[in-house]
Amino acid sequence: MKKRRAKQLKKHREGDIPTGSFSDIAFLLIIYFLVATSLVKVKTITADLPTGEKQAEAQMDKTPIVNLRETDVFFNDKPVSMEELNDRLAALELQDALGSKKVIMLESTSVTSYEVYFQALAAISANGGVVALVEEE
Amino acid sequence: MPIASMGDIAFLLIIFFMVCSEVTKDKKLDVTLPISEYVEKNNEALVARIAIDKNAQIFFDGQPVESAKDVEWGVRAMLENTVSEDQRHVQFKCDAALPKETFEPVLKAIAEAGGIIEAVGELGE
Repeated sequence: MKKRRAKQLKKHREGDIPTGSFSDIAFLLIIYFLVATSLVKVKTITADLPTGEKQAEAQMDKTPIVNLRETDVFFNDKPVSMEELNDRLAALELQDALGSKKVIMLESTSVTSYEVYFQALAAISANGGVVALVEEE
Repeated sequence: MPIASMGDIAFLLIIFFMVCSEVTKDKKLDVTLPISEYVEKNNEALVARIAIDKNAQIFFDGQPVESAKDVEWGVRAMLENTVSEDQRHVQFKCDAALPKETFEPVLKAIAEAGGIIEAVGELGE
């Protein structure tokens, strides 16, 4: 009994670090990172706006135009709701159109909120249209 | 069964997750996103993240910038060596209440620089 105790004390004095639980700690940390890491995928709409010369070419008389005046939406100068705008855009079958026929001009007043602007942009993009921003004169 | 290397494997896995986790650069932004039924989950690789908060402060990859011109230069620099269309996507996040005079110059700047805009919104009717 005394010999065993002396042997234990000697082991203690030699300073062995117990490493048996290192792998347990490591796995716990892995589980923590697996659980805590959030894979957040944002939801977006894609808008490829024509630039410079392409925008100038797009400004033709017969190009459909969406006007935003604060919260009111107009399609070819006729007041519409967002649902009606979507229906009108769907009727144009823009996915099958080629080149400049896909262009929808978007004009808005300076006080139009991003909420309305985004919804109009989303409706045009969802129906296969290419948005051309109208420059203020 | 030799299990001595399990600890090493575990630590390697930890380092892998620590390195691969992406830090959200615009987590602290005070932005109310617009709502649309047409938004979809974005799986495209992004070259840059542009955001405009409630106070009309513009951020480029989490860093505040002064004007839309800085955004254009930044996006141009990012797109300088790109080859394909897949490498031109730029995320755009903006507060829903901001007026057109605040956000449209930024949209135009991204378009002028050659970026394809991925405008962030929330799903709703």
